[in-house]
Amino acid sequence: MADDLRVKDSIDKDTVAAAKALESDNYEAGFSTDIETEFAPQGLSPDTVRFISSKKEEPEWLLEWRLKAYERWLTMEEPDWAMVQYDPVKYQDIHYYAAPKAGAKYDSIDDVPEEILETYKKLGIPLREAEVLLGVEGAAETAAAARETPRVAVDAVFDSVSVATTFREELKQAGVIFMSISEAVHEHPELVKKYLGSVVPQSDNFFATLNSAVFSDGTFVYVPPGVRCPMELSTYFRMNAENTGQFERTLIVADKGAYVSYLEGCTAPMRDENQLHAAVVELVALDDAEIKYSTVQNWWPGDENGKGGIYNFVTKRGDCRGVRSKISWTQVETGSAVTWKYPSCVLRGDDSVGEFYSIAVTNGRQMADTGTKMIHLGQRTRSRIISKGISAGRSDNTYRGLVSIHGKAEQARNFTQCDSLLIGGDCGAHTVPYVENRCADAQLEHEATTTKLSEDQLFYVRQRGIGEEEAVALLVNGFVRDVLQHLPMEFAVEAQSLLKVSLEGSVG
Amino acid sequence: MAINIPELRQKFSNPGIAELDLIARYASLPEDERRGRMFDAFAETGLPGRRVEGWRWTDVEAAAARLDGTVAPVVVPALSQPHDATVFALSPTELETPEQLPDGILVHRRDVVPALAEAENIPMAALAGSLCQYKDNAASIVIEITAPLSAPVYVNWVGQSADTNFSRLAIVVRSGASLDLVESYCGGASLSSTLVELKLEDNADVRRSLFHAGDAHEIMTATALVELAANARFVQTILSLGSLLSRFETRIGHTGTGSNATLNAAYLCGADRHCDITTFVRHGAPSCVTRQMTKGAVLAGGRGVFQGKFLVPRTIGQFTDADMQHQALLLEKGAEVFAKPELEIYADDVECAHGNTSGALDDEQLFYMRQRGIPLSRARALLTEAFVSEALASASPAVRDALHDTAREFLSEMHG
Repeated sequence: MADDLRVKDSIDKDTVAAAKALESDNYEAGFSTDIETEFAPQGLSPDTVRFISSKKEEPEWLLEWRLKAYERWLTMEEPDWAMVQYDPVKYQDIHYYAAPKAGAKYDSIDDVPEEILETYKKLGIPLREAEVLLGVEGAAETAAAARETPRVAVDAVFDSVSVATTFREELKQAGVIFMSISEAVHEHPELVKKYLGSVVPQSDNFFATLNSAVFSDGTFVYVPPGVRCPMELSTYFRMNAENTGQFERTLIVADKGAYVSYLEGCTAPMRDENQLHAAVVELVALDDAEIKYSTVQNWWPGDENGKGGIYNFVTKRGDCRGVRSKISWTQVETGSAVTWKYPSCVLRGDDSVGEFYSIAVTNGRQMADTGTKMIHLGQRTRSRIISKGISAGRSDNTYRGLVSIHGKAEQARNFTQCDSLLIGGDCGAHTVPYVENRCADAQLEHEATTTKLSEDQLFYVRQRGIGEEEAVALLVNGFVRDVLQHLPMEFAVEAQSLLKVSLEGSVG
Repeated sequence: MAINIPELRQKFSNPGIAELDLIARYASLPEDERRGRMFDAFAETGLPGRRVEGWRWTDVEAAAARLDGTVAPVVVPALSQPHDATVFALSPTELETPEQLPDGILVHRRDVVPALAEAENIPMAALAGSLCQYKDNAASIVIEITAPLSAPVYVNWVGQSADTNFSRLAIVVRSGASLDLVESYCGGASLSSTLVELKLEDNADVRRSLFHAGDAHEIMTATALVELAANARFVQTILSLGSLLSRFETRIGHTGTGSNATLNAAYLCGADRHCDITTFVRHGAPSCVTRQMTKGAVLAGGRGVFQGKFLVPRTIGQFTDADMQHQALLLEKGAEVFAKPELEIYADDVECAHGNTSGALDDEQLFYMRQRGIPLSRARALLTEAFVSEALASASPAVRDALHDTAREFLSEMHG
């Protein structure tokens, strides 16, 4: 954004400053770590798939599963319906596996190469539990704040491998399984076999199928019935090596009555070439379970001229399989050259709830096509979509969403609000909502008027002497801020600055 | 050189029976370069179906395969006309014009096939353009309005119980002229596609009111391409009761500063009826205004579709003021409503709002009316009528009451 940029008077100045702070010039995670790395041979073939599988010493069934996906992938075409343009990905030029040579998994945190620990420290993610317990600098200024600051268990994924998972023992005592998916394949094959691919099938879409063939590492979480996970869980994805792609796979299962809050962060070094990130995230919530999944996506966005940057082609889907289950997606999207991502909820269980809160900021030449799908199958299922897109520079920011109410989803409800804001006249903001209603007593509102929102609430707030505009902001935006404020400090650097964002002056 | 049918077939991927008929029909027409380009554009998709983005919910291909060709659709009477109206009847072969045209209306028959811009984006309009041929070698008909008219002009589209009806009509409204246009789509053909090209010059004023009530043996698409020059004013109102498959597609281009468009529509869908209201508005000039309100009510076995899109290009689209609303009632189990209210914005100093709701009637309102002694079925009809009538208020005064009566009749029958 040029300093002399002229913006509409009605646009909040702090918002412009917040967007400006996210320009690629200010990208702080752009360093690379010099570490000896072992690669899979370049390109994709059945041998690559076997190489990855053997590196991870996987059982035969999983290799078969991967090969089947690979065969399927060969027959598929890359989707081209999103409002993004990018140079074609050269799938045969990528290394599908890259791992620090010193070994994939370390017995103790002390064995993790110092370079890697330093990398994470620099990113604000301390992996030594002692450091975590002491609190990050500035995170806990008072004793009271320290008590209130929840601890976070971290799974650190460096290129294709998980290098450390903290607080495992403590979580184990609560019965929570928190480990890399490669380990889970060995230690809990029955769970992995039961749930892997049950939400995002192998042949779901081009990128998910690619991931099924070559996925390297990711996180596996299982929270047993009735357990409220005692701490926040998180994975920090770091792409480091050149000419690689990252293909992680995350699987989170919350059994009956369980609760888990999971956070994901991602960064990558500044490089001139484009790198591919094609992840799959599957969430399963059984009866009365709740999963809160938050993402702070800050992959290298490429420079202001659009050189380099990550292609972020991700499939995320949650299955509210049980009655009264709840899945909530929160995403803060500021990175990636190209984003293609639609975290979704399949509301299968009666009375289940899906939520999607998103703030997406694009700068420079970034292109983001992101949104959600809410598939209402069960009775009295409810969903809420709040999406805020801010475009600046020469970027394009698209909200694309589907709300689908099936015939048996009686009394289903959806509320959708998507605002977009353009900063400057060279960017684009687009909204592509699909709304399919097949149930007569479902109620769907998209961008409904404020009075429709809740006249009673509005009246209550105004009665207390708060102006109408502020009251609406409180009611509509209030819970988004609330969600963002609950991101732990380590992850909330970007998010915190976005709290200042106001959508005043939005175009539609 | 004669048209080579096998070669034509190759342009289609896997043509169905209906498409083979269309190929034969095309081959029987005089060869023409522009006609050929339009037919090629149609061949890209063939009869559009689920795989074509803009037609995912209105699957002409599947409907054509389902069509029972042995039953001809009924011809529905056109909206009744006041004695001073000018009435045109447009059949697949000819435009019937009154013996005496009032001052300010000219009709031109031309033997040149006009080109169609963006034909590849509008396959059904490309089909209408490529297969339209009037008698006496007239390839196109243009109605020219040169002055403000005192009485409404009616155009009745009649299929004449033919298998197909492909008609194309251009209307040019000269600078400062005004037109109150009423169109009845009377059915009669199993497969019809009509194309209206409306050009409004500076300060022209057009009110266009459309009515369609087809039966379960009719597939119809009606496309209008409307160009608005500076300060032109265009108000469109549609009442559609649908047919096996029906679609009104309106594409507006704001090409002059300060033009103003109102696009209202109401659809009422009974069993086995499909109504699609699709609009695309390009704000290609500064300070243009668009207001859009679509209301729908759907009964069991019916499907309502609304697709709206506002495109605001960079720089030239500045100061656009646009609002799109779609609201639908699903009155019975088994009703379906699909909507896609879309915005594509590249200019920063604009206001573009869109809203979309669908659901059942408000229980509290029903309760209130029943409390007052109004039976449930009557209460439902009344509330629904009130709900859709907002979108009909902009219709021509000549037919406004008739449209309201039609809506009322439909609702009273359904709830009686």
